[in-house]
Amino acid sequence: MEKVGIVGYYQLKPELDIMMSPYEAIFTAVRGALDSAGLKRKDITTVVTCTNDYYDGKTISNCFKVEAGGAYMKDETKVELDGAHAAAYGLYRILSGNHKLAMIYGFSTPSCYFYEPVRILELDPTFDRTMSVINPYTTGGMQMRAYMKAFGVNEEDIAKVAVQNYKNCSKNSLALPEAKKPDISVQDVLDSEILSSPLRRLMYPIPCDGATAMILAPERQSLKITDNPVWITGMGQCQETYYLGDRDLSISVSMEKAAEKAYKRAGINDPKSEIDVAEIFGHTSCEELILAEAAHLSEKGKGAILLDSGPALNPSGGAMSAFTPCASGLTRLVEAAKQLRGEADGYQISGAKKAIASGQVGFCAQNNIVFVLEGGG
Amino acid sequence: MGEKIISKINLEDEQDIYVKRGMVRAEFDFWVGIVMDKFYEGLQNKQFIGTKCSKCGKVFLPPRNRCADCFAKAEEFVELPQTGVVKNFTVSNYNVTERRVRKAKEPNMVGLIQIDGADTAMVVPIINTNPDDLKEGMKVKVVWAKNIKGHPNDIAGFEPVGGG
Repeated sequence: MEKVGIVGYYQLKPELDIMMSPYEAIFTAVRGALDSAGLKRKDITTVVTCTNDYYDGKTISNCFKVEAGGAYMKDETKVELDGAHAAAYGLYRILSGNHKLAMIYGFSTPSCYFYEPVRILELDPTFDRTMSVINPYTTGGMQMRAYMKAFGVNEEDIAKVAVQNYKNCSKNSLALPEAKKPDISVQDVLDSEILSSPLRRLMYPIPCDGATAMILAPERQSLKITDNPVWITGMGQCQETYYLGDRDLSISVSMEKAAEKAYKRAGINDPKSEIDVAEIFGHTSCEELILAEAAHLSEKGKGAILLDSGPALNPSGGAMSAFTPCASGLTRLVEAAKQLRGEADGYQISGAKKAIASGQVGFCAQNNIVFVLEGGG
Repeated sequence: MGEKIISKINLEDEQDIYVKRGMVRAEFDFWVGIVMDKFYEGLQNKQFIGTKCSKCGKVFLPPRNRCADCFAKAEEFVELPQTGVVKNFTVSNYNVTERRVRKAKEPNMVGLIQIDGADTAMVVPIINTNPDDLKEGMKVKVVWAKNIKGHPNDIAGFEPVGGG
């Protein structure tokens, strides 16, 4: 695959209830990304927006964000999945040869709507929605039970993932303040209330307001913009069935296939030894392990090993650091890029050369997308 | 539509922030298709009707009219028994509806239940037992609602076989 460069980005500091209108938030992120690359709005040739009509309370949620997103009088499109999918659209547009600069942004303010209730609208209206038993808590609970049973993993191991995320958040200046818990213990996680057994409150990231923007450019253009680009060398995406009862929830076949495609394109044969940093978007601490294992970073059921050795798992704190619907996966990409550029101040993995970043949508990560990133210099 | 502009007080700097509060409501009819139509008809007769893939023979419940693996029609209807097995379960302390998340008065037992003879499982409530007694592999049977209407809510839930 021809190399595409990440040449700029900006993450708005996430908050539970941000005192900014959607347009200020998006503008801040997009303007910030342009400034980080020393670019101007006129340099953008295409804009890919990631927002969601239900989360925004209006249809065609991108049509009202044109000016803030820098898209006025430009080629613009929207993806209503995860911000990482918007990055994929941007990548395709660059690779088509038609565009020299793609602005990607993801945005949502769950302080303005009820996140879990809106997820109910994702369900099959002819059966599941009427049964009203499927929601992010119950699916997270069943997924965790399936994982623990299939691999004999205990609750403590999963709690350890959450602990590491909260500790990592405390080193990340752009993490949600409520997720910065430097002194949290495994017992604290195990003592937190049960959302849906065995899933506990502290294993579940807090939906928060935010916006993340990222700029992509073709290889030659990237080198003109910066002498420190991060290259996207591989990408893979895979869609699983909607039906939870058709799937083995202890694993993620779609993540496995997405990762394998991405590795193949990037020429990675042994991810365990070749990948330095993995920024994985897991909707729960358990899902983070399932997805990391599916990406072949450890053996199945042994993901907790990543807390001590192998590729660094979510040094930013992962989804716990900024669980903004529509932006979470894009934020993972930016966090991975920061590691490769040596900009992860306070949580830098020394010598990081190759990273993966993932995004997802759907219950129990129905659709997964994986990017392989390499530091350029 | 019940939309109004209200002021929300920002306690930190005692400044009023105006927000618009509204509700999006869109009436919509979902045409369920022949397969779910048959399924609902089955419920009306206190029966489970699944579908079978014309190629691999996999039996789906809830039914669907195409097999994902074979990309073939699955339109042969199969009547399935009223008993099944708990493949997975969870006990939730919250009720999540399209409107709100609320702490549940009684914990909700939810199971991934595979009806005997089906190859897929469905997510349904488990009732008439204690959360502590739930286990994977448990045999269960359907409990029908008092008023049957040919609607998914005809399934009140599943209870352990033998009162469990």
